[in-house]
Order: sequence, then C-alpha cells, then structure tokens
Amino acid sequence: MAQAADSGAPPVRQWRQSTVFLYLRSLLALAIVWGLVALWVGNHVILPQPTSVAYELFRLIVSGEMLVHAAVSLWRLALSYALAALIGIPLGLLMGLWPWASDLLDPVVEILRPISGIAWIPLALFIFGIGNELPIFIITYVALFPFLLNTMAGVRTTDRTLIRAARTMGVDQRTIIRHVMIPSALPQILTGARIAGGAAWMSLVAAELIGAPSGLGFAIEWYRQLLMTPKVIAVIVVISLLGYLTDRLLRWLQRRLTPWSTGIGAAG
Amino acid sequence: MSTLRWPRYFILPVGLIVLWQLWGMTLPARSRAPVPLDVLASAVDLIASGRLPMALLQSLGRVGLGFLVAGSIALVLGLLMGFFRPVERNLDPIIESFRPVAPIALLPLAILWLGTGTPAAVFIVAYAAFFPMIVNTIAGVKGVERRLVQAAQTLGVPQLTILRTVVLPAALPSIFIGVRLAMGLAWMSIIAAELAVGSKGGGGGSGGVGEMMFVFYAYYIELDSIVVCMIAVGLVALAIDHGLRWLQRWLMPWAEQYR
Repeated sequence: MAQAADSGAPPVRQWRQSTVFLYLRSLLALAIVWGLVALWVGNHVILPQPTSVAYELFRLIVSGEMLVHAAVSLWRLALSYALAALIGIPLGLLMGLWPWASDLLDPVVEILRPISGIAWIPLALFIFGIGNELPIFIITYVALFPFLLNTMAGVRTTDRTLIRAARTMGVDQRTIIRHVMIPSALPQILTGARIAGGAAWMSLVAAELIGAPSGLGFAIEWYRQLLMTPKVIAVIVVISLLGYLTDRLLRWLQRRLTPWSTGIGAAG
Repeated sequence: MSTLRWPRYFILPVGLIVLWQLWGMTLPARSRAPVPLDVLASAVDLIASGRLPMALLQSLGRVGLGFLVAGSIALVLGLLMGFFRPVERNLDPIIESFRPVAPIALLPLAILWLGTGTPAAVFIVAYAAFFPMIVNTIAGVKGVERRLVQAAQTLGVPQLTILRTVVLPAALPSIFIGVRLAMGLAWMSIIAAELAVGSKGGGGGSGGVGEMMFVFYAYYIELDSIVVCMIAVGLVALAIDHGLRWLQRWLMPWAEQYR
C-alpha cells in the first residue's frame, strides 16, 4: 500500500515509501544482526547462521519431510477445530436463547474455563496416552470456550427491536431464531472463531511437543534432541507462517461473511 | 421466578461430581482413576505439607519476573513506537514477524540456550507476555486525543515530557488491557514451559506447579494430585484476572468505559 500523498512522486521514491520495502529493510537488518551474533557465538548448535536455517528449510520442504509434519498437524487442527465449533456453537445458541440452559451450564463453563488446556495435558496423557487423541482433545477443549461464549454473547445482544418487529409481523419463534438472531450473532461467532484459531495453534504446539509421536510440535523437539538447531528454527518458522496464514484466512472469512461488521481489527 | 433461579446453578456441577464419585466407587480398588473424595484428601495433604503452595509460589515468581522484563521493554518500545512514526515504521515489521511465533514453540531453543532451570521458563513467559503488552500500548498511544498533545506542544513542553505526562496517563487504560491479556497468557505458558521442561529436560527438577504435575504423572502416577494441581492452576488464573480487574478500577476509576 503506497501512501496516497506520494502518488505523484517518482516511482523510486514511491517504492521506498511502500510497506513492502520497509518490511524487507527491517527484516534484512534483523538478518544481518543475527548473522553477526551467530559469528560471535561461533557455535552452530547454539545459534546457526540465518543462511543455514534457510538452506535447511529449503531442504526440509524439497524432501517432503516438512509437508508430512505439517499435514499431520493441520489435520489434527482442522478436526479438533470442527469438533469445537460443532459442540460450541449449538451449546452457545442454547445458552443464549434459553435462560434455564445458561443457568444450568454456565457454572460448569465458568469452573472449567480458567483451567487452561495445557493444564489438562498430564491427565490427558494418562487417559489417552501418546498419540492423536491427546492433541485433538486439548485443542478441542481450548477452542470450545471462545466458540461457546461468543455465540452466547452474540445471541444475547441481538437488537430487541428487530425481534419485536419480526414478532409483530407474526413470524414464529423458530424463524426468528434462524433469520434474525443467528445472522445478528454471526459477527461475534466469527470473532470467537478467530480467537479459537489462535488459541488452538498455541496449544497444538504444546500438546504435540509433549504428547504426540508426530506433527510440527514433535518435530521441533525431535530435531533439538538430535542437536540440529537449523532444522529446529526452520520448523519454528513454518509453524509461525502457518499460524499467521490461518489467522489471515479466518479474517478473510470474517470480512467475506459479515462485511457489515466493524469489529474486525480487535487488538490482542 | 428469580428467587428460584439460584438452586439451578448447583444442579449440574453437584450432579456431575456425585456421578463422578459414584462411577469411581464402581471401579476396582486398585484403580488409579481420580475420584472426588480422594482428590479432596490429596488436596488437604498437598496444602498441609506446603508442597502445592511452594510450587505455586515458584511458578508465580517466574511469571512475575518474566512479566516484569517483558512489560518494561514493551512499555518503553510501545510508547516510542506509538508516538514517533519512524520508530514504528522500522520496528513494526520485526514485531509483526515474531508475533505469530507460538511461545511454546520456542521452548526447545530456550532449553538449548538457557538450560532446564528458571531462566528458560522466564524467557518463555516474557516472550508470551511481550506481544499483548506492546500491541495494546501502541494502540493506546495512538488513541490519545491529538489536541491534548498539541496543547502541550504549543506550551513548549519537550517531547519526552509530553510522552511521560500526557501520553502515558491517557494510554493507561489500553495498556492495562494488554497487561491483563499478557498475564493470562503468561500464566498459561509457565505451565506449558514447566511441563515440557519436566518431560523433556531429562530429570533435573526445575520446580513449579507444571513440573509438579508432570512428576505426578510420570513417576508417582498420582492422578488425584494432578487434578488438585489443575484446580489450583485454574484458581490462580481466576485470582490473577480478578486481582488485575480490581487494580484497574482502583488505579483508573475514570476508565470504566474502556473495559
């Protein structure tokens, strides 16, 4: 995005003002500092050169090894995310629509919510053992609460006037829920989906690091034990890139599905 | 109607605990599955012996230290980045590239650089706490009403004094949102860091409640004690959040609308 004020400036000037240029310049400076520090440290295991990380990253991608790790992690993530949405959204609707449901369920939610997914790992290790079930359980647990709470809040904050208007026109309760309350809660449900996405990534890494025999989280720990630090950093880079892309995807979805919503750029 | 509502709150939690206890009683006597009454007994034991409070204190100390490090860097950088445009333009790409890096993914590097003791755990906490702090500080500084700054500039106040006496107080509510988010994340990552250090460090006790849970899992297989730790972790998380909310109301009674 070149700045509008500079649109009359010569192209070189414009390029130097662009976000891409600033981004590349800062990252280049960072890479140079990293390279110098690595030279000073002089130990390839403790801090490798950025070039050797780039080389290992390239090799991991070309050999298909990275693809295997990433596919396993993404598959687990997608499955648990879908599970969390399938449980969280209906429960949230239920709790938002009927006071008795929220009276019953809310205490349980409030008791469980402060216990982070990561604190479940030791118990889950015992129940599920090391394998697919552990990360899936942890991620589903973590992603469940943002879906549930945001759906509930979204339904509750539906404009009363809209509901009354629909009722005055003789629309039945079912249709009001489907055509008034759910659409009006959608922006907030999608906000919940984004929060859930971020939390899910973070706990995916933790769960795989400790209790999975495969996946990206496992890969970092595996290469650390082999003292292949360039590969460790390469996997961390891939985890971050994928995390960033998932967030972008969810943001895009949010803009696409609810273009009228303004609360997209929440900090955090 | 409303007077009859409160008993409903207890139906499900109490019902579930009773069911859990009944299920536990059907198990063979040598089963290791946690059962509410046993959990209670081991909670009493862990608290009375001082092991749980000590472990919690150790974890909290690490969170405090990491938070202090991250908070002071984030505050200074955030103020500068929010106030001076060139600083932001040059540093923002770096911050944004590191933001998506999950703190826990850095744990193997932290172990490699700092060993399996307190420094590695503090590093992870500081990393986790840094980003919510700086993002909200920048947002807070940018949200400061321009006229306040301009008024001070007209009066000839030096830039750094403006930053300290005008911008900082006005940005405080937003900074505090960052503090609350950061503390929540920090508490979560300390558990992860201690757990993973416990499991991957190959012995060498590093302490803290996370490591304690791992030891209960791996060496003693005391699941009741693990459940006690989980509950304790949840209670501390609640206490941190409520404490910070209270602090916010006390420090900035005017900022109610920002919450």
